[in-house]
Amino acid sequence: MVEISIIQALLIGLWTAFCYMGNLWGIYTNRCIVLSFGVGVILGDIPTALQCGAIGELAFMGFGVGAGGTVPPNPIGPGIIGTLMAITMSSVTPESALPISIPFAVAIQFLQTAIYTVRAGAPESAAHALEKHDFNKFRRSANMTILLFGVAGFALGFLGAFSMDTLSKLVEMIPQWLLDGLTVAGGMLPAIGFAMIMSVMLKKELIPFALLGYICAAYFSLPIIGIALVGAVFAIKHYNEAGKVAAVAATAGESQEVEHDDWI
Amino acid sequence: MTGSNHTEQQNKLTTKDYTKTTLRAYFLQNGFNYSNYQGLGYALTMFPAFKKLYGNDPERLSQELKDNSEFYNTNPHFLPFITSIHLAMAENGMKYKDIRGIKMALMGPLAGIGDSLAQFCLAPLFSTIFASMAMEGLGFAPIGFLLAMNGVLLGIKLIMGNYGRKLGTSMIDKLSEKMGVISDAAGMIGVTVIAGLAATFVKIKVALTFAAGEMQEGVKQSVMDIQGMLDKIAPALLPILYTLLMYYLIKKKKVTTYWLVLLTVVLGVVLSFFGILA
Repeated sequence: MVEISIIQALLIGLWTAFCYMGNLWGIYTNRCIVLSFGVGVILGDIPTALQCGAIGELAFMGFGVGAGGTVPPNPIGPGIIGTLMAITMSSVTPESALPISIPFAVAIQFLQTAIYTVRAGAPESAAHALEKHDFNKFRRSANMTILLFGVAGFALGFLGAFSMDTLSKLVEMIPQWLLDGLTVAGGMLPAIGFAMIMSVMLKKELIPFALLGYICAAYFSLPIIGIALVGAVFAIKHYNEAGKVAAVAATAGESQEVEHDDWI
Repeated sequence: MTGSNHTEQQNKLTTKDYTKTTLRAYFLQNGFNYSNYQGLGYALTMFPAFKKLYGNDPERLSQELKDNSEFYNTNPHFLPFITSIHLAMAENGMKYKDIRGIKMALMGPLAGIGDSLAQFCLAPLFSTIFASMAMEGLGFAPIGFLLAMNGVLLGIKLIMGNYGRKLGTSMIDKLSEKMGVISDAAGMIGVTVIAGLAATFVKIKVALTFAAGEMQEGVKQSVMDIQGMLDKIAPALLPILYTLLMYYLIKKKKVTTYWLVLLTVVLGVVLSFFGILA
């Protein structure tokens, strides 16, 4: 059991706030791999944090996708809460931390939906401010969602770290067979992430590439960069061939596009 | 640029103003809400440039900001293309009602291109590559992920901002054509990598063995090892089959993630309880 000092809890709160705000900025900080790394640095256990981050990242990869405005389960669950548990509690492994922290991920998802809903009145008050030419109030109004994200992120990170004692008592009540089972489930959960990504990406003409990836990984045990490079060979070939077709079409069409060169 | 440049007529914008607006695309979702989505954010993004254009006429500035607070929802990384076109038109004295059509027309296509590139290609690709590095204990992985992701996205923003200013509206078809090829190529790499990762990182091992006598650790016994048999048929068979099952449930049966997570957790716990999986 690793003790978390009040300073560390505050730092985790600030880190969570920053990462969660990055969700709106689109800077990809609100991902398990990033979130958990910060926790690892603050608590001085980077190896466990990397494990948690990697497992959570792969499992949650597919949860991030969706049309604009839909809110997925939040990576703060495994990224912050799960990592805290795995680092501070000896009975929790990085694998079992993932399923244990999923309820948090879902709860935070609802919190986020609540923030968006509460702020539904923002355009009204912004318009009101503009009628009075109060541009500062307009800006406050337009920045309020991100401010709430910061506050919520800080509260989640700080309280999570601060109440780890209570959480750990709750986790200690989980029997060993359940923890073992959750570890097994943790190994299976990434399948959902991969399947979700595939359900968006996989078109009929890409099926050979799925097979290619499987063969490279399972039979040849290539590292992931190697697999990406094998895929890149075909991607570059495709790009070049498509470029040729486009160039032929462009010259045949005899258009006066001066800037065309920039894009070939 | 605080726009304290009080001249009588509408001010002109410099490259710096365009770049600033381009970078302010990061603020597009600062006011995200369920009634106008990125609407407030759009006005916020344009604010300094508008202030420079209309700063000496508070009435006009208010009206522009109000008009631009209407519903908007697109991809933040491709937004600079739209804002640059918008600014170029506004700078040449066009009214919002004439710009509005283009702004709204670009919203959907750019969201489509941007989402497929950023969410479905770049993010999964970098995510899997760096997560697998992290799995191997490389401390650089999380920072590498952030650098790679943000480097590419910032590049897209800057290129889009420039492109929008230079070429105006006529080239949007060309752009989506080219993006289509890039997106296809990225898709090929993405699918290859993700299939490879599914085979590597989904872990399902059958613990069930039929042994003569009691199992002893480290001692080779003549046991019927089901996992060993499965490995001989095809490596990583169960992980792939389970991923395919999930794919089938998502794609064909439209099962939501909650149910899949629940199903997986229950399955994992139950099968582990009976000693079938380990």
